[in-house]
Amino acid sequence: MRRFLKENSLGVVFGVLFLVVLGAQAYAGHATFNQQQLTEGLPPISLGRYLTSASFGADVAENWQSEYLQFFLYLILTVFLLQKGSPESKKPGESGLESDKEQKVGAFADENSPAWARTGGWRTRVFSNSLGLVMGLIFLASWSAQSIAGVAAFNEEQLADLQDPVTWSQYLTEPDFWNRTLQNWQSELLAVASFAILAIYLRQRGSPQSKPVGTAHTATGIEG
Amino acid sequence: MIRFLLGVVATVGLLAGCASVDGRAQAADAVAERLFAAIDAGDGDAACALLAPETERSVAEEQPCAEAILDEDLPEPGQVTGTWVYGQQAQVKLTGDTVFLAVFPGGWRVVAAGCTPRGGGRPYDCEVEA
Repeated sequence: MRRFLKENSLGVVFGVLFLVVLGAQAYAGHATFNQQQLTEGLPPISLGRYLTSASFGADVAENWQSEYLQFFLYLILTVFLLQKGSPESKKPGESGLESDKEQKVGAFADENSPAWARTGGWRTRVFSNSLGLVMGLIFLASWSAQSIAGVAAFNEEQLADLQDPVTWSQYLTEPDFWNRTLQNWQSELLAVASFAILAIYLRQRGSPQSKPVGTAHTATGIEG
Repeated sequence: MIRFLLGVVATVGLLAGCASVDGRAQAADAVAERLFAAIDAGDGDAACALLAPETERSVAEEQPCAEAILDEDLPEPGQVTGTWVYGQQAQVKLTGDTVFLAVFPGGWRVVAAGCTPRGGGRPYDCEVEA
């Protein structure tokens, strides 16, 4: 057990932090929701009721979709795009899907290669893109969940304001949907762009996300 | 993976929540219909008991609610033509009227009644509201 935790501490720690922060978000979101209820002369709701509300669902899903979009885009774009001096980038001249030999697929697979890397055909094509496919699918699923929970939360506010509710397709053209979506996208894109560029000139000793401290600023694709 | 599973659970939870919407809509319909039936019967106390606290206070500004509600220019009771329930709020459309309700500890209560649309994305114009 101790060995498992040591060897998987990155995933375990982030998983635990995720649950703690999700709990804190639920607590803060519940308080915000009830403040609004009181402002409108309505009674507060229980935490359990809030956790199954569209408001909480939309708030959670809108952040999830943008995070998965960020990783999906980073994964796919770093195949083709370069950033000179960044440890996040491949070296100049190495952009693209690379050869089967470099990727150890088909005839170039070794004894430790996953089975689907060795078999060839559609299985190898799917496995070769499986990380991007799954990240992209989770992005689409969470963006859809945002739109479904979002229209319900939006309509709850509409009714509280004595206005008609809208359909799901109408909601997709509402500023509320795009404001929730784009405010998350812009922050994710800024974080990725700034990280890729700051990592050219700055270092974090011991981190694989940084170049070794003494590595030249011009060195590209070298991780510590 | 944990995030993904939680996402699935959240989505299933949202869909499961839809299953109970029919029952909640029927309860909202019943309160809207009881309000108009009470007013039609001249029972102001029964009508006021169905109003949200803020709405009741607003109606009772110049005279007791039970008297004031009967003086409001509310339409005759009509048939329910559509109901929308979202979270703690509901809208019941009847022939000739639209009613807005919200959930309170005792169940649905009428927040606004005698409402007519103003168009242009503006709120309904209501005879009775908070």
